[in-house]
Amino acid sequence: MNERAWSRLVPNVTGFVAAGLVALGVFLWMFVDEGLLVVAGLGAFGPGILREFGILKDQDEFQREAARRAGYHAYLAGGLLAIVILVFLEWSGADAGGGGEWVGLVLVVLWLSWLASSVMEYWGAQKTTTWVMLAFGFFWALFGLAHVVGAIREPGPIEDLAEFFLGLGAVTLLVVPWFVLAWTVKRWPRPTAVALFGTALVLLVVFIRPFQPSGLPMASRVLTTVLLLGPFLACGIALLTESARDDGRGASEAEGE
Amino acid sequence: MTPRLEVRNHVRRHRRLLDITQQDLADQVGVTRQTILSIEKGKYNPSVGLALRIAGVLGASVESLFEIAGGDA
Repeated sequence: MNERAWSRLVPNVTGFVAAGLVALGVFLWMFVDEGLLVVAGLGAFGPGILREFGILKDQDEFQREAARRAGYHAYLAGGLLAIVILVFLEWSGADAGGGGEWVGLVLVVLWLSWLASSVMEYWGAQKTTTWVMLAFGFFWALFGLAHVVGAIREPGPIEDLAEFFLGLGAVTLLVVPWFVLAWTVKRWPRPTAVALFGTALVLLVVFIRPFQPSGLPMASRVLTTVLLLGPFLACGIALLTESARDDGRGASEAEGE
Repeated sequence: MTPRLEVRNHVRRHRRLLDITQQDLADQVGVTRQTILSIEKGKYNPSVGLALRIAGVLGASVESLFEIAGGDA
């Protein structure tokens, strides 16, 4: 059998490997350990993630277009189902186990991913990241301004004044990095992406600590983590992939000259 | 908002003139046969890059392969 005939018989090796992993994962989930469903997850989502990062290049443009449409349909179907489940749980009072919070988390992740992806596609990673950083900066600036206004309205002794300036300094420290990052995005996208990952790590380890015991339900803690870290991770990943794409485009243009 | 343009193509006619199969064209262009089939049926409009590659393989200009239906372009 020649190579072309063989390639027609086995049209997509990735598809077979992915389907095999899904089948294996389901088998392991049913008969060995429920946690091994992760193997099925690797098969179902692994190829798509590798394609998005440009590591796996096994599809032509029509297949990518079909996959994009399928993804949009999956987003609409998944989002609609999540809303229906949430409304049902709310109205029926059947949410004794707190499942609604997890469904809500999935819904938030779905919608935010769609929003981030749409904006990134339309504006590009650099412009989007600039605006995200400015939004964070202005948010903390308003937060700081509220603190200052509150302090002025309640004048106190000199110790309070020192505390006020100390607080103002802390707020400035909190605000300035976002504007600095907004400025560096277009000049140094890769270092900015690394800085965003670092920021996410610091936020996770120092401030959020979602896996430490607290009074909040686990779903709420995960949701807080996603809302706070998601923008940094999404912007960082998008900056890196866009830079790699630009490098590839630049190399092919140089070859063409 | 720009109205969606309906594009008509003559890829099948040009391919048959050269007596090559969809699979041959797909192999030379670097896509799947299904992609060529969808283009010929008018279900999918290729990117400019792919249109140029198809035109190169078929030895035709892009304008002779693709046109806006209604002929207003």
